[in-house]
Amino acid sequence: MSEPIIDLEHITVTFRDKKSTVHAVKDVSLQVERGDVYGIVGYSGAGKSTLVRTMNYLQLPTSGTAVVNGQTLGKLNTSQLRQARRKIGMIFQHFNLMNSRTIADNIDYPLRYSQLTRPQREKKVKDLLHLVGLDDKADAYPAQLSGGQKQRVGIARALANDPKILLCDEATSALDPKTTGEILDLLKQVNQDLGITIVLITHEMAAVKAICHHVAVMEEGEIVERGPLLDIFSKPQKQLTKDFINTAAQLDTALAEVRRQPAVINLAANAQLLHLSYVGASTDQPLIADLYQQFGITANILYGNVEFLQDTPVGNLIVILSGDISKFPAAFAQLRQEGVTVTVLDPKGDAVA
Amino acid sequence: MSFINQLMPNVSLIWPQVWQATLETLYMTVVSAIIAGFLGLIVGICLVVFDESGIVPHPATYSILDKLVNIFRSIPFVILLAVIYPVTKALVGTGIGNTAAIVPLVVGTIPFYARQVQNALVQVDRGIIEAAQAMGASNWDIILRVYLREGLPDLIRVSVLTLISLIGLTAMAGAVGAGGLGNLAISLGYQRFQNDVVWVAMIIILIMVFIVQAVGDWLTRLTTHN
Ligand SMILES: Nc1ncnc2c1ncn2[C@@H]1O[C@H](COP(=O)(O)OP(=O)(O)OP(=O)(O)O)[C@@H](O)[C@H]1O
Ligand SMILES: [Mg+2]
Repeated sequence: MSEPIIDLEHITVTFRDKKSTVHAVKDVSLQVERGDVYGIVGYSGAGKSTLVRTMNYLQLPTSGTAVVNGQTLGKLNTSQLRQARRKIGMIFQHFNLMNSRTIADNIDYPLRYSQLTRPQREKKVKDLLHLVGLDDKADAYPAQLSGGQKQRVGIARALANDPKILLCDEATSALDPKTTGEILDLLKQVNQDLGITIVLITHEMAAVKAICHHVAVMEEGEIVERGPLLDIFSKPQKQLTKDFINTAAQLDTALAEVRRQPAVINLAANAQLLHLSYVGASTDQPLIADLYQQFGITANILYGNVEFLQDTPVGNLIVILSGDISKFPAAFAQLRQEGVTVTVLDPKGDAVA
Repeated sequence: MSFINQLMPNVSLIWPQVWQATLETLYMTVVSAIIAGFLGLIVGICLVVFDESGIVPHPATYSILDKLVNIFRSIPFVILLAVIYPVTKALVGTGIGNTAAIVPLVVGTIPFYARQVQNALVQVDRGIIEAAQAMGASNWDIILRVYLREGLPDLIRVSVLTLISLIGLTAMAGAVGAGGLGNLAISLGYQRFQNDVVWVAMIIILIMVFIVQAVGDWLTRLTTHN
């Protein structure tokens, strides 16, 4: 593997004032490969924004080094840092467009730092407007645009100087679900067609699921879990990660619903409530049929959901299995061997195990 | 014309003097506005950028500027006139007259305008500043092309406010010997009981204020896009 395009080593950011000290980021090391789409999820206050802002030194780390595009940001002087930032695009939750400039002028603004001539700049702006699908909005002002359109302008502006990296801080958090989907599609296109590495900060696992190849989960200034998207989704280790995944798959709401059903409330002695999840290949196996044939166990599916992550199916089932309880352990072992994650659920509890 | 002469028996005898006083007031206002506007803008920008949350945080400089502005804003203008009389004399060569009045007018207006500029510019969304920094803009760029440009409608608004207050100050300076409409109103109107002179002086000043306000409103509309 080539060397990572973003390499954070032992980054710590501490905010101090007279009254208090906030450890926003604690000794985080993070590598992002060229061409990757890397998601960082966490709840509000986890330190995501602070961490991503060290990637273009909008936030100076208290300690640690950030090597981005092959440059150690901490070793650059002011003017070198400005140069470096032109190759690191950034988009924001609230778009941060200049209200006094037209859309075309907003996109043109970063080009003032390029070597391009006037006509070249005009062409570039036109191309970027086309890329984000806003050809007819060149002379509009930001106030005349919808949130989704503003974020498209944000993306066009961020891409103006042909960056290698695009940092997205909660870029879809102010948008409705449909618009969120459209912006995520555009980001995916930017990654695939232009080869731009994307770092996506969000508190919504759904956004990560849609476009990321890798994901890191942050809590209280630390990355508590990280890995390829499918690994994280199929074998989450930390409770926090599971919570995020379950919220995204709407498993929480489904389970609450399931627990209100008579079949669960009056769960028979020879039955158990289970959560089965599987990734990829196992979906080809007739799981349920096998259980009956081999162990005489019947399954009552209360909830089922299959979705595709990076073209790989990921399934979640909530089932009641009933039969000879003594055969359950062997049946679970068999399921696990086939790559199914088996979790016994408390029929009365309130969490997804 | 005879109707006007009847209505304003005194003014009709001194029209040239009224015209002269109007020009003097305009002269004091315009020159003071240019000098104080320029210097006040610079101080105002410094207050914004050196602030703790500004683009070049510099607590020591900020706190000195902040205190100076507060102190000078607290001095009543009539007292300021007297206090800086020696400075005026050293700079202009004389302590009375239109040009001499410009010194206290400028000194009195700078802190007022600086604070107004600061209030206008801090309205500019921090996120927009941050976006410019992320694009590799220099601090100069951010001041000239982001702060001043994004804050322009507000800057026009506070400039109008300052200009109007400056017109008021010139009248006050006039009262203590600087010439202009204030002087006319006091020396002829008030002290010699020529009421019509007072009224005419007031109306001319009101017209000036009205024009400033109207032009300001028009410019604000022209530059506002949200
Ligand atoms: N400039 C600052 N000064 C002091 N404390 C700060 C500053 N910026 C962030 N913090 C604190 O650092 C912690 C992490 O903040 P950060 O904005 O990185 O979180 P986040 O994960 O991005 O949250 P959100 O999802 O709400 O954006 C918070 O406790 C926050 O209050
Ligand atoms: Mg944040």
